[in-house]
Amino acid sequence: MRVSGDLGDLGRFAEPSLLILVSLSGEPKHGYAIMADVEELSGASLGPGTLYAALARLEARGVIEALPAEDRRRPYRITGLGERTLRAQLDGLDAFVRTGLMRLEHRT
Amino acid sequence: MNWLARAILTLYPSAWRERYGHEVGDLVSRRRLRALDLVDLLGGAFDARLHPQVVPSLLLAVGPPGPAPMPPMRPAQPSYGAITSLNPGVLSRRSFMRRMLGAGIGLLSIEFLGGTLAFLWPPPAAGIGVEHRVGTIAEILDASPDWARGTPYEFRPANAFLINVPAAKAMALGDVLEVMEPGAGEILALWRKCPHLGCMIPTACETRSRFQCYCHQSTYNIVGEKLELGPAPRGMDRFPVRIGDDGAVFVDTREVISGPPKGAQTFVDPYPPGEGCA
Repeated sequence: MRVSGDLGDLGRFAEPSLLILVSLSGEPKHGYAIMADVEELSGASLGPGTLYAALARLEARGVIEALPAEDRRRPYRITGLGERTLRAQLDGLDAFVRTGLMRLEHRT
Repeated sequence: MNWLARAILTLYPSAWRERYGHEVGDLVSRRRLRALDLVDLLGGAFDARLHPQVVPSLLLAVGPPGPAPMPPMRPAQPSYGAITSLNPGVLSRRSFMRRMLGAGIGLLSIEFLGGTLAFLWPPPAAGIGVEHRVGTIAEILDASPDWARGTPYEFRPANAFLINVPAAKAMALGDVLEVMEPGAGEILALWRKCPHLGCMIPTACETRSRFQCYCHQSTYNIVGEKLELGPAPRGMDRFPVRIGDDGAVFVDTREVISGPPKGAQTFVDPYPPGEGCA
């Protein structure tokens, strides 16, 4: 799936990034919780290398931020910019989904 | 699996490890890792090396991103990484140890690779494995005038004794015979490597004109045939000898002719066959 918008230029990290942002949209989570959550959300597993490569990119862009470490683990929180980015992404997907469903309805 | 994951973590750039190493270490210790996770972790190391700019610096990690002029929401994490990233000239103990380890492994790899390549190289152009030009007979006699009267000539490049056979036999019998122009068939090149265990055979003893190995007393007569004393299985091995167009003597160490078997003696000197040099 091609993800348009701000995350589109993340290449192969675009999809993991979207999953991570969705996972963080409820509450801050640390790496292990993100992994478990993403697995539950999408059914696909997210390897530790991919997870942290995506986290580093998202953090560098300012869409997520790290909170102080608690017991070696550092929770990540979505920023205001991240919330706007995620909303735009999901709106775009929503329109995409609607169009697809509509076309299926009106198939001749 | 866990130690393997930790080994892979050392492949990440140090800035990355300073920033994320603890978290990933914690993560891999909590999760049951599959082989695919390790591959993924390895892929992440390549990614982090290829795109070092995506790792946020430690300074960014403490302050909130964006233009908000708020004071830092949390204290900076004290870490050597922060100190060294602010002072490029300062080397932490940890990164020093890492560099030393890396240098050691690198050096070892180079040595291993060098040894492998050297093994593939063709044999040297000297020593055993090439044909040696000893020199003309006049040159040999110049270097060692006694060779005409039978004293073996030490030719070190081929580790061999050159024997002027008719003169040497006469010497061993107690006579004096001067042979100034031995033919190719009258010159032996005896390899000084004892056929028993490979010890180097010393120069012939003057008392009896025999060769006797220091290691186990294997004894040979002046033409390198094995006598009764000592464990060697045969006579001294030899190299083919030829005389070139210019009259020079050539010793070809590319080919080794096995020494004659025990008992197949062509020459008998006047001393007891069961004794050495004495």
